[in-house]
Amino acid sequence: MPGRHLESVLSRLATGTLQVFTQKDEEVFVFTSIDDVQSRLTAQQYVSNRKLATVVFLATRMNKPILVEGPAGVGKTELAKVLAMTLDRPLIRLQCYEGLDEAKALYEWEYSKQLLYTHVLREKINQILDPAQDLQEAVKMLREREDIFFSENFLVNRPIMQAIRSEKPTVLLIDEIDRADEEFEAFLLEFLSDYQITIPEIGTLRANTIPVTVLTSNRTRELSEALKRRCLHMQLDFPSKEVELEIIRLKAPGLGEKLAEQLVEVIQSIRTLDLRKAPSIGETLDWAQALVILNAPQLTKELYEETISVIIKYDRDAEKVLAHLGVTGEATKNITNTANAASYHHGHYH
Amino acid sequence: MDRVINDFVHLLRQHSVRVSPAESIEALQALHYVGLEEREVVRDALRAILVKSRDDVEVYDRLFDLYFSFQEAADTPKPRLRGVDHGHGGAPSRLELGEDLEAETNESDEDHEHTHEPPQSIELRKFFDERQLRQGEDLHGAPDKLRLSLFAQQLVLNRKQGALQQIFDRISHQLQVRRARNVFQPGGVAPLSDSEELPIDISAAELQDLIDHLHEMEVDEDLIEQLKAQADNIIEGLPELLKSMQERQKKLAAKQPDPIDLHQRLLRRLLDFSATEQRDMEAAVRRLAHELHGAHSRRQHKDRTGRISISHTLRHNLRFEGIPFQPVLRRRHEQRPRLVLLCDVSLSTRNLARFWLHMIHQMQSLFSKVRTFTFVADMVEVTHLFEEYSLNRAVETIFGGQLLDVDTKSDFGRAAQQFCDEFLNSINRRTTVVILGDGRNNGNPHNEGALEEIAYHARDVIWLTPEPKWGWSLGSCDMALYEPHCKRVEVVTSIEQLGRIAEDLVHSKV
Repeated sequence: MPGRHLESVLSRLATGTLQVFTQKDEEVFVFTSIDDVQSRLTAQQYVSNRKLATVVFLATRMNKPILVEGPAGVGKTELAKVLAMTLDRPLIRLQCYEGLDEAKALYEWEYSKQLLYTHVLREKINQILDPAQDLQEAVKMLREREDIFFSENFLVNRPIMQAIRSEKPTVLLIDEIDRADEEFEAFLLEFLSDYQITIPEIGTLRANTIPVTVLTSNRTRELSEALKRRCLHMQLDFPSKEVELEIIRLKAPGLGEKLAEQLVEVIQSIRTLDLRKAPSIGETLDWAQALVILNAPQLTKELYEETISVIIKYDRDAEKVLAHLGVTGEATKNITNTANAASYHHGHYH
Repeated sequence: MDRVINDFVHLLRQHSVRVSPAESIEALQALHYVGLEEREVVRDALRAILVKSRDDVEVYDRLFDLYFSFQEAADTPKPRLRGVDHGHGGAPSRLELGEDLEAETNESDEDHEHTHEPPQSIELRKFFDERQLRQGEDLHGAPDKLRLSLFAQQLVLNRKQGALQQIFDRISHQLQVRRARNVFQPGGVAPLSDSEELPIDISAAELQDLIDHLHEMEVDEDLIEQLKAQADNIIEGLPELLKSMQERQKKLAAKQPDPIDLHQRLLRRLLDFSATEQRDMEAAVRRLAHELHGAHSRRQHKDRTGRISISHTLRHNLRFEGIPFQPVLRRRHEQRPRLVLLCDVSLSTRNLARFWLHMIHQMQSLFSKVRTFTFVADMVEVTHLFEEYSLNRAVETIFGGQLLDVDTKSDFGRAAQQFCDEFLNSINRRTTVVILGDGRNNGNPHNEGALEEIAYHARDVIWLTPEPKWGWSLGSCDMALYEPHCKRVEVVTSIEQLGRIAEDLVHSKV
């Protein structure tokens, strides 16, 4: 009864109980072209250029990790998050820090679980070992079964292991790799090139699904050649005026067009100064939000003074920037104090 | 296709961009995915795979433009460089194809590729003008047919690969020599007063060789004639070429167009490290870093990778009736090395300062706890300079004279005393003190005690000196007195030596 079948399908479709897998669903997990990458990133409010889209496309096609380098706050981490969203994959994040070791990043044996099992199974073990004539035979019998205690059961999954064993394809973000020690880079090499991990007691675990891997680095130190060789390398820098304007339009829609343009211009000119920390995109957005909240019609000198703390986090920088923007010296003095207080405030809440 | 990429990779390597074989294979793969329709996409894709360092990006972009510039050049022929007419009216000068010598040679490589592997390289044809590929025979006539004759020539040239290359090598070699001699204008080419100065003689011989060879190969006489004419064109066009090269050099050198005095410009030259040097240096310092361990902490700490501590495990597991559910692992922690660097920036070591300061810069980026001091007669801390500014700027500031008088006579004794008085609290039993200097006191008191004091407080003192051992007790050098207080004294004047010492240190440990 084809008629009825169709009916039931339709009704299930309407109620949403039937999932229809079409070509389109397949495409959610991969990118079809460079343009596809770009449009889908934009759909997630991530403004990208063609360069970035090319690298992302290649990475998903060639199954290679992406190494993104650039100053703080240009959207390196954001890239991974957005990729996870567009590809509809879970994001697994590994934040690197000095002293990070394989136990925290790859895997770890669960000693207590192993011991618990040994204890609970004591009787069973006794049974098995019962027929043994002497100690040597018992040891031999035990040895034959020892791999049950060193099986994947007793592994604690750490981020990289999670990514490897996940049934569903994932996005793995290894954040700020430059903070980890050099030795740690070496741990990563096997994973990055072959998507596998070798555990001495078990053997080699291959990835069920190959994760899209994104490594980020702030260039606080130079990464090793070996690591770089395994990745697609991308340098992200502060965006151009047009791109930044687009970002503001997307993320801070409340800001008037004219004010947005003015703001971007100021930010761009501030970045040309020799500052301890140049304002990042995040700070630009904070500033835009602040202006929206203050309902400012346009940027004035007073407004610079009042809101400088949003974009500049160091006294010395604040002085320089205000001088650059033409705010007088006396005012500057006051500002540094307020900036101080404000930045403290700021830090407190985040 | 793969040859094209290989040649490009080879070119990158020649410009000291490090590319591994695996990467060039991946580059091919990548092109397979992104296709060759869009030039910018190809550029981005290859850059992501082949270039792994920010410093190399500029080189890459330039070479990419030169290497893959055939189509533009052929489609929009540039105005003739010179009114040269060699019988073959309208024969386009070879120079039209590229802007400088590199482009010339490499393009011919590319063409070569193209003709020899038609099936695989179909995609590559997109880079080229279709017409060139179709009409392969006619040597004389309409302009676009002439272009195809160019193509044929390159074919011929490529059979004797290297001949043309040699010519260009020679010419560019000459250029380099001229550049090197022109000391006061770093990076620039000597201005040309007259085209007669050009090194035409040398290339003429090479050319003759090439032409002879073509005769041997029984190539069409017309073609050879034309080749000859074109080769003449090249030579005729050399002054122009040189000019354009000079302009390019100027462009490259003119990164900071502010009017700097000669002193500063020379400084910049000093700091002008090649990529390979940088890498060697980095590798050597890394090895050194391996050796300079921090002290072991006396107490053991809990550590997942340590050994089982029986006593702690027993105590901890009493709550589980003594069954060791939770083993306690402990081990001694090795603390990260702390470094204090004392660098002599006096006149006597000025020529080495570039090397040392670069080394310090490297060390500061590799170790987390480094404090850097420079001295001549006074000791000044410059850690923050290296942290905040680029290497060039930091060095300029140091030699600028605002921080300390860099032109007095060096006096290590006094500097060491100052260090003892003011900065002794910056060193402790975990600190390794590295002194970079020649130990010349110029007759001032050697003040051995100060160094002894430093050595007493520090874990190790390592002295790197540029002077060979036989000179240590000669003249105003007090090295012989200082030596006993140092754990090691090493003679270091070049990256190779530094590398060797790093190697030594690592081996001697075993």
